[in-house]
Amino acid sequence: MAYIEFQNIDKFYGKNHVLKGINLNIEKGDFVTLLGPSGCGKSTLLRCLAGLEQTSSGKIILDKEDITHKDPKDRNIGMVFQHYSLFPNMTVKENLAFGLKLQKLPAAEIEKRVKDSIEMVELIGKEDEYPASLSGGQQQRVALARGIVMRPKVLLLDEPLSAIDAKLRKSLQTSIREIHKELGLTSVFVTHDQDEAMVMSDVINLFHDGVIEQSGNPVDIYTKPETSFAAGFIGNYNILKPEEMKKLTGKEWQGDVAIRPETFLLSNTPITSGESYKMQGVILDRVTRGNVLRYKILVNDVEVQADLLFRSASMYQIGDSVQVALANHNCVCL
Amino acid sequence: MKFKKRTYLFAIVPFLALCILFEIVPVIYTIIRSFMPEGGELGFTLDNFINIFSKALYQKAIINSLWISILSSVIGMIIAFFGAKAVHEGAGRLKQIFMSILNMVSNFSGVPLAFAYIIMLGNIGVMTMIGKNYGIEFLANFPLYSVWGLLLIYVYFQIPLATLLLIPAFESIRTEWKEAVALLGGNKTTFWTKVGIPVLLPSILGTFSVLFANALAAYASAYALLMNNVSLLPIRLSEQFVGDILQRPEFGSAIAVVMMFFMVIAIFIQNKVTPKQGGRH
Amino acid sequence: MEKKKHIGSKAIILLVIIYLMLPLVMTLVYSLFKEWIDVVPTGFSIAAYAELFGDSAFWMAIGRTIIISVLPIFLCTVFVLLTMYVIVVYHPEWDRFMQILCTIPYAIQGVILPICVLSLYTSAPKPFSDRMVMLVATYMVVILPYIYQGIKNNLTGVGAGRLIEAAQMLGASKLFAFFRVVIPNIMSGVTVSVMLAMAIVFGDFVIINTLAGGHFTTAQMYMYDVMKKSGQRTCAVIVVLFVVTLLISGGAFLLQGRQGKRKERG
Repeated sequence: MAYIEFQNIDKFYGKNHVLKGINLNIEKGDFVTLLGPSGCGKSTLLRCLAGLEQTSSGKIILDKEDITHKDPKDRNIGMVFQHYSLFPNMTVKENLAFGLKLQKLPAAEIEKRVKDSIEMVELIGKEDEYPASLSGGQQQRVALARGIVMRPKVLLLDEPLSAIDAKLRKSLQTSIREIHKELGLTSVFVTHDQDEAMVMSDVINLFHDGVIEQSGNPVDIYTKPETSFAAGFIGNYNILKPEEMKKLTGKEWQGDVAIRPETFLLSNTPITSGESYKMQGVILDRVTRGNVLRYKILVNDVEVQADLLFRSASMYQIGDSVQVALANHNCVCL
Repeated sequence: MKFKKRTYLFAIVPFLALCILFEIVPVIYTIIRSFMPEGGELGFTLDNFINIFSKALYQKAIINSLWISILSSVIGMIIAFFGAKAVHEGAGRLKQIFMSILNMVSNFSGVPLAFAYIIMLGNIGVMTMIGKNYGIEFLANFPLYSVWGLLLIYVYFQIPLATLLLIPAFESIRTEWKEAVALLGGNKTTFWTKVGIPVLLPSILGTFSVLFANALAAYASAYALLMNNVSLLPIRLSEQFVGDILQRPEFGSAIAVVMMFFMVIAIFIQNKVTPKQGGRH
Repeated sequence: MEKKKHIGSKAIILLVIIYLMLPLVMTLVYSLFKEWIDVVPTGFSIAAYAELFGDSAFWMAIGRTIIISVLPIFLCTVFVLLTMYVIVVYHPEWDRFMQILCTIPYAIQGVILPICVLSLYTSAPKPFSDRMVMLVATYMVVILPYIYQGIKNNLTGVGAGRLIEAAQMLGASKLFAFFRVVIPNIMSGVTVSVMLAMAIVFGDFVIINTLAGGHFTTAQMYMYDVMKKSGQRTCAVIVVLFVVTLLISGGAFLLQGRQGKRKERG
């Protein structure tokens, strides 16, 4: 039996069917991500687990206990919100002690736990500051500390990094991962950013329109998309229709095919390597993206994108003719 | 279980009771009463309204009230427009002093305001006496105890209100727009007629409705200056219920309904135009 | 060109300032001199103020004004907070109705509401026909829009819904979360609207005159009575009351400014 089980969860807002019979198991100790575009239902599922929303039907089991109709305060779940939601009239310390005081723990115990959490999020020295005087990143660290100080069964993170600028985000991603491991937490993380999901997760659940489109570890999700939505959302797949594939390869295809842009081989001279389709194309456009060059190439009347590592020696100019090769196994049928 | 879950609803009881007992029911009662014949017997009649619109005394009250409310609002708006524009164009320290004064004098209204005008321009007012001593006709014979005097007082309390309401609207005018107009070959007049005023229009209309409602309902200054000797809707309304003359509650209710009608129109206009403002920010 | 524009706007501001300050200044000067029938007033004297402060009726009137402003404002604030608890926590969709109920007072401002209340309740059974009950309730309705708007803006500003969720996740009940977490955070903001409401009730003449007549002499009624007796003294009353009103609304203004700054910093 899994640690957390969602069984046939449905959720309606009026006539709006936002969760459509979700079944999902989460194992103890995993860092699980709910990934998807905004409005796909990922946050709603998280809030159902938190108890901040009621499911329309279905059951939620946490640690062998049915918590579907429990109040949030009785679920022993910690949560970090997108907008920090720190209590502005309380200092960092008071924010962390809030829940512990409600549990009527002895003062010494509260003191110790607050201190430990502050150390863990590296905010020593900020104990007596008010949230308004902290930066966004620091505020989110406090929120994280507040989420773990109660020693919850599960830690929920609802897009905690989306309001934070790119550089700080990386360091917070690392902090969250480390704390997750160090405390042996079970964490459920919601994000719309596929890179973030790849970096952080043990398991990714890709949401689309109220259903889970695909589940798996980051490598599988990245290399083996099962649907065109998955292929379109993860990475920058070329998604080609059967007729386009026919033009490209001269062979009949059934259904759409996804091709990762970095799997194309480009060369000035004919490519002789084995199991691959060989074609000729013309460079239409070139964009520099840091260490990667992205080419737009017209191959047999089909436009494809190909990524190459930046090596100035082998840079193609717009209008150049190139030989293109595509390995058979890199054409993922959807 | 079901009952226990809904106990929180008790929290809205005091508020609802207040609104029902002292807001909704009195208004509805007044509306119903305005259609009842005078003297207290039951029945439906339009006589009260017919009387208001046909008797010279009350026609006068409606005309005076509308006239003074519209005119004081227009004058107040024009002065406020230039005041707010001047603030917008920024004059550092003076601007701050001006804002403080606006906030300060917005508290100066009603009886004190009327009295201040009495000591200035009343029968033995300071300026009246000066006018007499030095032969300044305009001051010596200033018609304070008339609708003209009232207009002067109304304009006074409209200005700070209007300016305070318009200043935020002016803030929404960006310097870049002026620069854009200039780059496209327009001058200041082009800017104000083609961009500035159209952008401000919702705020101007909204402010106008607030001013109109404010003036229409104003009672204290008129009463302090002229007692019941001026034909204005609030004065005519009040005297049907309080005071020495014969009380006519049904007829008075009809006056109240007429006033509420004008107020609702003003507020309706204001609500119609303000959401646009909100959306822009 | 730039300079000319500035002079223009300065001149306009100065003119408006003079127009607005004139009645105030004249009232102040009038209260301080025995005679003023030519350009320069004569006979400086603070007798009017001495007389005023020595008059126990004046202090009684001030006391009544304080009672009649504090009670409705306190009750109104509590009523609105209780209702907002239900709206924020359980039924956000009800806010539309609350907003309508709190806008209606604009449409019945001035003399309309007290007249409606009076005409309904003069001959009603006991608690309602009591003038004090009518007075307190009417003031509560009059200040409702300001108190509601103040509380609502502050609830939105502080993110009440989110704070309640955060508190719940830490083991607090909804009730505790609203009254012990949210309310302390909006209190200083609510104080601003409370003070503005105070200034409104303090300056009221219409309602007190309609509902209480001469039976409950507040500061405004006292002023109205003195008006028929002595010009100097009336001016003194006006000045004193105006200063009190200024202190109240100035306090609110300062408080608001301080809050604005604190938010900017955060």
